[in-house]
Amino acid sequence: MLEPLLGSTNSEKVLLFLLAREEGYPREIARFFESDFKAILNQLRRLEAGGVLRSRSAGRTSLYSFNPRYPFLRELRSLLEKALSFYPQDERNALLTNRRRPRRRGKPL
Amino acid sequence: MRRVRKMSVGELAAYVSSHLRAKGIDVVLSGGSAVTIHSRDKYVSFDIDLVNTRSAKRRTIREAMAEMGFQEENRYYKHPETEYFVEFPAGPLAVGNEPVKRVDEMTFRTGTLRIVSPTDCVKDRLTWYYYDKDRQSLEQARLVVQENPVDLAEIERWSKQEGMLKTFQRIRNLFLERGTSA
Repeated sequence: MLEPLLGSTNSEKVLLFLLAREEGYPREIARFFESDFKAILNQLRRLEAGGVLRSRSAGRTSLYSFNPRYPFLRELRSLLEKALSFYPQDERNALLTNRRRPRRRGKPL
Repeated sequence: MRRVRKMSVGELAAYVSSHLRAKGIDVVLSGGSAVTIHSRDKYVSFDIDLVNTRSAKRRTIREAMAEMGFQEENRYYKHPETEYFVEFPAGPLAVGNEPVKRVDEMTFRTGTLRIVSPTDCVKDRLTWYYYDKDRQSLEQARLVVQENPVDLAEIERWSKQEGMLKTFQRIRNLFLERGTSA
């Protein structure tokens, strides 16, 4: 959807994933979109080098999120929100459904 | 010409900036080294962040840096004679959501350096405190305020734009030892 602007579908996937879930690690994003891991990683690194994203180490992986100091962040978020609203409902639901709050081990459904 | 190994952070930043300017590459010093200079060395940084304000190509920068003996390693430029390293963060030259308001020029014996003003330097440090709760950056902001006339009213206005007015009001007293509401 934003590929003509961003120059890459993987870039759009990465940004939409982070918009929906606030943060994510490369393999998680690649798995979600069934995309090539290296291609996703390259986009994450490119966006980080450009100041759009930032990363922090978490165990053996890097967790990426939007860089709050990126001067166009508000506008970028608005654009991505609009793009997300054009996605099919099932894809939108899949992106937005993500339990991150703690869950006691062994708890029945 | 003064040897690179003898240059202070300001001299080295001015030397690199002047060389790049002669090649048509415009850069402005921001980040930790700007704190070093504005705080008169009360804070020491080895990271020289030269913001690439007109989106010069990476290859053009690499070639100009190589002429001075700097080699790129993982987006950082190192020189065999110094511990300081140079980085070129992507533009635009911004503090949070706004462009940097004022760029000052400083002259060193090695060249002329363009550097964010003390007020913008304080804003830059405060973004790290506001968004990452980094106490060290707050202390750096305080050191800059101690050594320079800084426009606290402008910082308050900007903090409000960032949605951080209450946080600024909580820390404002830290800056009152020296800051002026110009």
